[in-house]
Amino acid sequence: MNLRQKLLLLFSLTVAAAVAAVAWTVLVRIRLVFEQRDQQETALFVSQFQREFQHRSAEVAAAVDHIAASERVRTMAFQLVQSGDAAPYLTEAQTLAQDAQLDFLEIVGPDGKIVSSAQWPARFGYFEPIAWVDQPTFLKTEDLPDGTSALGLFAIRAVGRSESTAQPVHIIGGKRLDKSFLADLPAAPGMQIALYKEADQSPSTEQPHLGPDFAVFDPKRLINATGEVPYAARYEHLIDTAFNSRQETSAILYLTDHREDSVNATAIPLKSDRGEVLAVLTVSISRSGMVQAQQHIRAIAYGVAAGGILFAILCSLWIAAKVSRPIEQLARAAEQVAAGNWETHVPERSRDEVGLLARSFNHMTAELVSQRERLVQTERVAAWRELARRLAHELKNPLFPLQLTVENLIRARALSPEEFDEVFRESTQTLGMEIANLKTIIGRFSDFSKMPKPELERIDVREVLDRVFSFYDAATPDGNAIHFQTRFPTEPLLINVDPELIHRALCNLVLNAMDAMPNGGTLTLSTNENGEKVEIRVADTGEGMTPEECERLFTPYYTTKQHGTGLGLAIVQSVIADHAGTIAVESRPAGGATFVITLPRSSC
Amino acid sequence: MLRQVAISCFIAVLALPAVARTRPHFGGTLRVEVQGDAFESSNGLILGLLMDGLTRIGIDGNPQPALAVRWTSENNDHRWQFWLRPGVQFRNGWPLTSEAVAASLTQSCPTNCPWKAVHALGTSLVFTSDFPVPSLPSMLAENQFLIQLTDAGDGKHPPCCVGTGPFQLAQGLPLSLVANENYWGGRPFVDKVEIVTHRSVRDQWLDLSVGRADLVEVPAEELRQAQQQHLTVVSSPPVTLLALAVSDSSLLSNPNLRSAIALAVDRSALSNVIFQKQGEVTASMLPGALTGYSFLFPTDRDLNKAHEVRGGLNTPPLTLAAENNPIMQLAAQRLALNLHEAGFNVQVANAATVLHKDLALLQLTLASSQPQAALESMLRSVGVVTPVVENTPAGLYKTEREFLGTHTLIPLLYLPRAFAISGRVRDLRLSPDGSPILAGVSLEDAQ
Repeated sequence: MNLRQKLLLLFSLTVAAAVAAVAWTVLVRIRLVFEQRDQQETALFVSQFQREFQHRSAEVAAAVDHIAASERVRTMAFQLVQSGDAAPYLTEAQTLAQDAQLDFLEIVGPDGKIVSSAQWPARFGYFEPIAWVDQPTFLKTEDLPDGTSALGLFAIRAVGRSESTAQPVHIIGGKRLDKSFLADLPAAPGMQIALYKEADQSPSTEQPHLGPDFAVFDPKRLINATGEVPYAARYEHLIDTAFNSRQETSAILYLTDHREDSVNATAIPLKSDRGEVLAVLTVSISRSGMVQAQQHIRAIAYGVAAGGILFAILCSLWIAAKVSRPIEQLARAAEQVAAGNWETHVPERSRDEVGLLARSFNHMTAELVSQRERLVQTERVAAWRELARRLAHELKNPLFPLQLTVENLIRARALSPEEFDEVFRESTQTLGMEIANLKTIIGRFSDFSKMPKPELERIDVREVLDRVFSFYDAATPDGNAIHFQTRFPTEPLLINVDPELIHRALCNLVLNAMDAMPNGGTLTLSTNENGEKVEIRVADTGEGMTPEECERLFTPYYTTKQHGTGLGLAIVQSVIADHAGTIAVESRPAGGATFVITLPRSSC
Repeated sequence: MLRQVAISCFIAVLALPAVARTRPHFGGTLRVEVQGDAFESSNGLILGLLMDGLTRIGIDGNPQPALAVRWTSENNDHRWQFWLRPGVQFRNGWPLTSEAVAASLTQSCPTNCPWKAVHALGTSLVFTSDFPVPSLPSMLAENQFLIQLTDAGDGKHPPCCVGTGPFQLAQGLPLSLVANENYWGGRPFVDKVEIVTHRSVRDQWLDLSVGRADLVEVPAEELRQAQQQHLTVVSSPPVTLLALAVSDSSLLSNPNLRSAIALAVDRSALSNVIFQKQGEVTASMLPGALTGYSFLFPTDRDLNKAHEVRGGLNTPPLTLAAENNPIMQLAAQRLALNLHEAGFNVQVANAATVLHKDLALLQLTLASSQPQAALESMLRSVGVVTPVVENTPAGLYKTEREFLGTHTLIPLLYLPRAFAISGRVRDLRLSPDGSPILAGVSLEDAQ
């Protein structure tokens, strides 16, 4: 990943994180505000509903009051107290309930037995336990003839109570809490009122219900004004909580996997006068409007965030390009400098740090060029000095015998002719040898200055080594103490080299190795593959070299031999370098030396 | 003296209209309203007006000649022969023949008949039976055995109720009957009887009070109310037996369970409250007034013994079927409560719609004022064909005891039938089964 991509990623992530954080904060805040408002609205609706429920309770109480106060009932009560004959009033409760639009009405005689029952006419004569309660109305579960029971809102009034009558007649009237009751309750748009009543128990003629058993939730028993409540099973936990805690409980219920199908539900436990929870009334307000508004806002927020991130990416692209372009130019220039192009120059566009860096770079390259020129000049002078020193040194050695020989000849003129002839012959012989020696020295210098350009061929390195091995192995007399050995791979190793130059270089190394083993030893020629390279090793078991000697070994004119020119290994290094290869030496004192030549492998 | 004669003459002249008013007048339309179906064979009003039986029950409770003028029995009441009244015609003018009568009786009683075979013999009918049928003349007076034309001559069934009765069906609506001018027993006084069916009692009473009806029903439980409203009520002795039929198959095959049910029912509550003390509590099939031994069947409720007899046996929910009218449903509900206290779970259902019923609340009509015939008829109505051989109180008691001992029928109450009439109606009498004899009714304002 380059600098521009890193900058782009960094900028983009930074902006995206910032936008996401802002969007998340906004959405959370909006959700909290909406939920708070929704809860307030729900609480308002629930309180309105409770007021309406109380109003209905008051209506029931008023209806029962009206019945109890009517002349007809008062007369009936009087006659019941006087005669005790309840038979004529068997259907009285039905008539009164119909007139008062009550679902339940029972007339209970002074003896506590039912005189007439609107909801269960056949129950006349059975005892009805009278429970006086503080509230004007109370909830009660009423058994019905069909074996079921119904929850009702009841009121009880005494009729004919006087000092002379110990036990008055009681009127117990009520309205059934069922679908029609729920339908009559005013409900705001989106509000659903439902009632959960547990399974009916077997009707008892002597004992009223003591309260439903909420052990098992039956979704079918949760009804609203139109029948069964859809997704009633989702209300189980809420209703169960309200039943067990006996407290009003609220929760958000998700009816389906869609968030808009959720309601803010409040469960109101309906208790009997004894405090038992007989049923649970649920008031559910749809959250679809709020959720849709939330989703709308969220969609806008997501859109804005996406746009912001996209814009941020574009800006990041521009900024990254603006920041990274000078650096990239500097990097490319540095690469060119590294490649040897010291003339590289970068534009200086700004006055900031990047501009300063560009100026410094340009200054540095200029300095490098200047110093290189000075260095070349210096090296050139040094080289000439060294050449002059070497030439002086090399030429001085043969010249001294020449001078002595000439002086000896001059002195020999005084000798007898025979002795002069003898001296002359010996002197000319010496002069010839020294002159030949001078020619050899000059020839070597001439060879070093005239290294030919390699003519590359694709050959197997094993052939090159085999040729060298055959040349020296055959040329070495049998009594020589040096033992030659080779280690070649079975597979061919192809290289692109000038065979003659490589041969000469290797021969030079072999000769050096042989010189290093005056007392005999083992000379090993080997080659092997090393990745994309081919290594050629020339190893001897001679005296070896110190690290300092190894370091200076390839310096021209450096030699450890008594009569060496110091140009042999320099020539070898020059040949290897011309073939894009390297040469190194591995040696330690008394441990022999190994010259390692590395050449590029020829591609197929 | 002359003055006394003049005064006497004046008084006599003044008394003449009063005398005239006691004499029934022909003409007028009698308006009748009923709750149920007027064509019902048990309590329906119409069948008895359109058709006659071979006999009819007289005021004294004995069988009187009707379409049969005389009858004899032979072979210890195993064979009966009835001679037909000559000159009687069906409504369509066809003569009443012994073959037509035999066909009518065969059609009206395909099974469980008190006779084995009936066939025409000249102008007479011969009934034969494997067992003695001493009460056959009384039984032939029942509505079930009224004679109607069964063959229109072309092999097709004739329209309903072509009989020889005092009235005949008129065309159109409302349902009305017109007097049969050629009735063998003499033309009825009223020209026409208009019958409104399926009218609630309250509406009937309202119509009576505003002069839109002349004869309306008064259910037993409303008798006291009718009296309080000062209606003119004509009521019969107890003629309708309210009884609980108990199926002896499957769920209640155990006789102990049926016995527990019989012990658990509370007859007094039914009588005193639901039927407003107008019923006669009974545990026997025949009323005490008819037999004198009714008291031998205990009517008291014994809930503890019911539990004891039930012995902890549990039954699945039982179905109690009752007619779909408020009073029968209420009585059934009360019985269900009674049985619930005894450990039975009973659900009340409409008899017309329920398919399976373990219990049924029935109204059985006392068809005859003769105990033997009444008992046989009643047994036959619950599907039991048992000849009551001994026409003595002991024999009847034994028969009843044996049958009721199975607890497949639990008598509860005997109820009267009653009707309220307007001031126009004169000379209304009720037959022994409690149905009004409209042929003898005349109207006050008839011309």
